[in-house]
Amino acid sequence: MDPVTLAVLDNRLRAIVEEMGEAMLRTSYSQILNSSRDFSVALCGADGSLVAQADHIPVHVGALRFASEAVLKTFPEIRDGDIFLLNDPYNGGSHLPDLTIILPVFAEGQCCFFTVVRAHITDVGGGTYGGYNAGATDIWSEGVRIPPIRLGENGDLRADLLAMVCANTRIPRDVRGDLMAMIGSARLGAARIAELLATHGRASLLATVTAILDLAEKHARSILAEWPDGTWSGEAVLDDDGHGRENITIRATCTKAGDSLTVDLTASDDEAVGIVNSSYPNMYSACCMAFAYLLDADLSKNEGAFRPLKVIAREGSIVWANEGRPVTLCTSHCSNEIVEAIIRALQNAAPDRAMGGWGRRFRVAIKGKDPRSGKGFVWHLFHARPGGGGSSAGDGWNTVGEWHSAGGLKFGSIEQAEARFPLHFEKHEFRANSGGAGKYRGGLGAELKLRVETDGPAVGNTAGDGAFHGSAGMQGGEDSAPHRYVLHKKDGSERLLRSKEVSIPIESGEVLHLLSAGGGGWGAPGERSAEAKSKDAEEGYTA
Amino acid sequence: MSKWRIGVDVGGTFTDVVGVGPDGQARLAKAASTPHDQSEGVIQGLRNLAEAAGLTLEALLAGTERIVHGTTVATNALLERKGAKVAMLTTEGHRDVIEMREGLKPERYNLRLAPPEPLVPRSRRFGVKERLRADGAVETGLDEASLAAAIEAARGAEAVAICFLHAWRDPAHEQAAAEAVRAALPGVFVTTSAEVLPEIKEFERFSTTAVNAYVGPPVSRYLGRLAEGLKKVGYAGPVFVILSHGGVTPIAEAARLAAGTALSGPAGGVAAAVALAREGMAGDLVTFDMGGTSTDIALVAGGVAKLGRGREVAGERIALESLDIITLGAGGGSIAHVGAGGTLQVGPESAGARPGPACYGRGGTLPTVTDANLLLGHLDPGSFLGGAQRLDVEASEAAMARLAERLGISMREAAWGVYRLVNARMADGVRVATVRRGVDPRGATLLSFGGAAGLHASAVARDLGMARYAVPLFAAGLSAWGMLRTDLRFEVTRSVNANPDASLAATFAAQEEAARARMAEWFDGEITATRSADMRYGEQVFEIGVKLDGVDWQGAAMPDAVRQAFHDQHEALFTYSLPQDEVVLVNARVAALGRLTGDAGRYVAPPMLAAEPRQVWRDGGFAEWPVYRFGDLADGATIQGPAILESPTTTILVQAGDTATMDARGWLMAEID
Repeated sequence: MDPVTLAVLDNRLRAIVEEMGEAMLRTSYSQILNSSRDFSVALCGADGSLVAQADHIPVHVGALRFASEAVLKTFPEIRDGDIFLLNDPYNGGSHLPDLTIILPVFAEGQCCFFTVVRAHITDVGGGTYGGYNAGATDIWSEGVRIPPIRLGENGDLRADLLAMVCANTRIPRDVRGDLMAMIGSARLGAARIAELLATHGRASLLATVTAILDLAEKHARSILAEWPDGTWSGEAVLDDDGHGRENITIRATCTKAGDSLTVDLTASDDEAVGIVNSSYPNMYSACCMAFAYLLDADLSKNEGAFRPLKVIAREGSIVWANEGRPVTLCTSHCSNEIVEAIIRALQNAAPDRAMGGWGRRFRVAIKGKDPRSGKGFVWHLFHARPGGGGSSAGDGWNTVGEWHSAGGLKFGSIEQAEARFPLHFEKHEFRANSGGAGKYRGGLGAELKLRVETDGPAVGNTAGDGAFHGSAGMQGGEDSAPHRYVLHKKDGSERLLRSKEVSIPIESGEVLHLLSAGGGGWGAPGERSAEAKSKDAEEGYTA
Repeated sequence: MSKWRIGVDVGGTFTDVVGVGPDGQARLAKAASTPHDQSEGVIQGLRNLAEAAGLTLEALLAGTERIVHGTTVATNALLERKGAKVAMLTTEGHRDVIEMREGLKPERYNLRLAPPEPLVPRSRRFGVKERLRADGAVETGLDEASLAAAIEAARGAEAVAICFLHAWRDPAHEQAAAEAVRAALPGVFVTTSAEVLPEIKEFERFSTTAVNAYVGPPVSRYLGRLAEGLKKVGYAGPVFVILSHGGVTPIAEAARLAAGTALSGPAGGVAAAVALAREGMAGDLVTFDMGGTSTDIALVAGGVAKLGRGREVAGERIALESLDIITLGAGGGSIAHVGAGGTLQVGPESAGARPGPACYGRGGTLPTVTDANLLLGHLDPGSFLGGAQRLDVEASEAAMARLAERLGISMREAAWGVYRLVNARMADGVRVATVRRGVDPRGATLLSFGGAAGLHASAVARDLGMARYAVPLFAAGLSAWGMLRTDLRFEVTRSVNANPDASLAATFAAQEEAARARMAEWFDGEITATRSADMRYGEQVFEIGVKLDGVDWQGAAMPDAVRQAFHDQHEALFTYSLPQDEVVLVNARVAALGRLTGDAGRYVAPPMLAAEPRQVWRDGGFAEWPVYRFGDLADGATIQGPAILESPTTTILVQAGDTATMDARGWLMAEID
C-alpha cells in the first residue's frame, strides 16, 4: 500500500467526520447539542465496523458500530437513498435520548459505507421531561423506544414517521430541528464519501480502509506488548440506584497477555431497579474508552484499534441489563465507573499511563416558563463541571468534566444561557480544595450559584452520581471531594439535592448552589513539590 | 507622480525590505533583525534599501508614499510568554472565565496532558461588583468601592483587561472602569472587551481581550519607537501594519487592537500567494515560508486563503478574523541536539539573530540547520547573502563534530541527518496544512520563500509526492512584497440579534458610513465596502456568514431577500434549509476596503561574482554540482538538476530529477520527474 495515499485517505476520512461534526454543532437546535456538543459522528463500513470517528464524546467511541449492525440485521435489503433512525438500547442504541441517524453510501450499485450521527435529544417523552427519569423502573417509562426504522426512502423523509417521532416529545420544534441537523450532517458526510469513491474507485478505497484498520491494530498491539503480562482487578462504586439500593459495585478483572487484553466485568453487582444500568453497546463502548485512554492519543480510533480488546460480561448485571430494564443514565453511569474500575486495575500494568479519576456527572434539568417570551423551556446543567484527574504529566485540568466526555462537553456561554433561559448566574468560579491531593493534584470542580427567574414555579430533575463518592485517586493519590448540590429555599432553609430525583419544586427567585467534585490525584501527596503547594495557595486553588 | 512603496517584514533572524520604485523595479534589502528593538533593524533595512537604489535614506523616504509592515512582536510575546504583566477586572463571581475555557480541553484522548498556564493568573484576576442582564439592563450598578479596591490590587500591572459580562450590549460599565483605571494608573495599557470584540460569548471576548492586554504594551511600545525612528529620518507618510486577516491598517489602530497582529508576520506571504493566484499562477498553492527561526505554511486553494475566527496562538483563543496559517518552530537557525532518548533532534531552540548559527562567527557554538547546509556544500562560504556575510566553515565543523561525536557518526553524516530531519518536519507541517484539511498536496505547488526555503523546497516537495515547487528570485523578500499587494481593511460590526426587518437598511448604512469615514482618515483613494451578516435559525447558537452585497436595500422585499440569502447559504453549507423557521441576524458587518494601487514591480538581482561549481556531499562522498547565478537566467531558461542557483538573498537546490524553468515573473518553476 502506497504510504502517501494511505496517509492522505486516513486524514481525509477523519476530515470528513470532523466536517460532519462541525455541521452538527452549527446547525442543531438544542442547547445540549449546539452548546454542549453531546453528539458523535462516525463513518462505518458496509459490515457496520467503525472506520473513522470524530473526537467528540468518547463514551460513543465503541458504540456506533452496534447501530449500523442493528440496521443491517433489521433490513436485509439496504437501498440507496434510505435514511434509518433508531434509539433502542436493546437494538443498536445506547440509551433512549441518543437518537441515531444512519445513511448508506453506495458506489457501483453496492453499499460501501454508512455515515452515522448520534445526538442526545432534549426530550424523548417518558415519565418526565428532559430525558432522564430517575423514577423509572423500566424502559417504557423512560421514553419512546425506536427500533431501527426506515425514516426515509429515495432520499425523502417519511413525513408520517417524522410526525410520529415528534409527537412523542414535549419539544417537537427542537427535536425536528435537531433531526434535520442530524440528517444534514449525515448527508454531508455521504456526499464527501461519494466524492472519494468516485475519485479513488470503490475497490481501491475499500482496500485502503482495510489497511488503515490494520495499521491502527498494529499500533495498539505494539503498546500492549510493552506492558508486563498479568491479571489485575479494580472496582468502582456507584452511589445508589435512586430506589434505596446504595453502593453498587462494578468489578473489572483485566488480563494482559502478549499483545492482547481481556476485560472481564462478570463479577460486577446485579442489575438495579433504577436508571444506572447499562445496555450492552454502552458497556462495550466504555471498555473501548478506557482502553483508548491508556493507549496513545494519536492512535486512530477505529475497529482496528479495538481488535486487541476482548470484553466479557454477564447479562443481568449492572453493566449489561436484561431487556426492559431502565438504562437512561448509562452513558454517564455506570459508564464512568466501568472506566474507573478498568483504569484502577490497569494502573498496575501501566502506572504512567493511568490517570487520576475524572469527575462524575450530576445533572440538573430545570423546566419552567420564560416570562420574557411566555414560552416553556427545559434547561440542562452543563456548568459547574467536575475536574479532570491528575496524571504522570501533571495536575488535572480544572472543570473539564467527566470520564465519558474528557473535555469534549462545552458548558457554553453564560451570556447566551441568560439570553435564552430565565436563569441568572450569580457566581461561577473554581471550587477551592475540590481536587484530590497527590504528587499531581486533581483538577478543580466549580461553584455555581444559579438564580431561577421563571414565570411561576419551576421544577427540577436530577440524574447523576458522585454525591457520595469522589473521583478516584491513582498511584497513591487521594480521591477528590464529592459533589454537593443544595437548593436555597425562599424561606431560608436549605434542601440537599440527591443525585436521582424527579420533580423538585423550585420557586422563582430561589437559588441553586452547586459545588462540583474535582478530579482524583495521582501519586502520593507527600511527593508534591513545595513550589506547587505554594502556588496552589497563592492562586486560591487550595484554601 | 509614482513614488516608492516599501514593504518591511521582520523575521526572527533577518529584516527584509522590499521597495518598488518609480521605475517599476522591485529592490530587496536585508538587515539583521534586532530583537531587543525591532525598529532598529527596520531603519537599517531601509538604509540598505536606499543604498541599493543609489539614494540617501532621506531622499528615499521623501519619495515614499507608504510603508507596510509585518511585525512578530505580538506573536513572539505569546510564544515566549514574554508579554505584559496583566491584571483583569471582571464581573464579580466570574473571574475564572479565561481559565475554565468553557470546559473544553484539546486532544480528546490525551488524558495525560498538563493544563496550560493562564495568560492572566488567577491571583491577578479581580472581581468588580457590577452586573448587566442579558438585555443590557443594569442588574447591579458599578460599585465604586469595589472598583477602587480592584484597581488598587491591580497596581503593578503593565496592562489591565476589563471584561464584564454582557458588555457587548452596553459598554458603559467597562468604559467607566477603564476611565477610573486610566486615572489611577497612568501609563498602564487599558483595554475593554466591548471595544476588542463587541460580540456575545464571554469566553471568546474575554480571552481575546486578555491577549490584547498581554501583547498591547510590547506592540504599542514597538510601533511607537518605529514611528519615532521613521520621523527622525524624515518620514512623515503613512505606516500600515498587516493584520492577521491579511488586510492592513494604520499604526495607531494596530496598537489599539494589538491582538489582531498575532499573525502579522506570516500574513504577508499569504497575501503574496493570493496576489500571485490572482495574477495567474495556476492551481492550489502551499506557501512554505522558511526563515531563520520559524516556518509558516498556509494553503491558498482556488486563489482564496481561508479566514476563520477560532484561531489560537500559543494556546490562546483570539476570536478576531484571521488567516489559517500553520507555524512550525524550526528554521535555518534551529539548533540540532541530542534529545533525552539519545536521538537527533532539531529545534525548537534557535540560535536566532544573535549569536546566530556557528558559521556566522558571532560566538555561536551550537550546530544549526544553516551549519548543516554549509557543511553539505549547499552554501558557499564566500557568497552567502551576496558575500555580505562570510561563513566560518571551521566554526561549523567544530560545532557539528561535537554533535556527531555524541551520536557516534561522522561530522558530515550528522550534517546530513540534520538536513533530512528538518525536511521531514517541514513535510509534516505541509501535511497538516493540506492533508488534514482534506486537500491532496500532490496536485499543489509548493510556493517556497523566506531565506532558507530554497535549500529545502525540492526535498520537502519530494517527500510529499508534490509535482512542483516554485521559488521567486527574491525569495527572502516575498512576504514584504506581499504586504504591498494587499488592501487596507477596516471592519465595523454591530450586534443586531433580531429578525431581519426594514430597519436593517439604516443599520447597514450607518455602519458603512462609519467604516468609510474611518477609511477616509487613512486613505484618499477609492473606497469600496462589502456587507455581510452572521445569521442563524432561532434555536441555533452558531451563525454562518452570509454575503449581502447583491441585496436591494431600498426595496420592500429587502428583509425577505436577506432571509433568502441565509436559507440559500445554509442549504449550500449543510444540505438543507428550514424556510418556515425563525431567522435571526446576529451581527451586521461592513468592511471598508481601500485599494492600494501600484504594480508588482520586477525584481532585478544585483550582479554577483561568477559562480564556481561546488562540491556537494551526498551518499558518503562529495560530487560536483554546477552553480548558476539566479539573476543571470533569461526568461524561459531551463536547468536540469542537480544544480545550485544563487541570488544575493537565497540559495536553491535543484535536485537530480528536477527540471527548473525561469518564468517571466522572475520565478523559478521546478517540475519533479
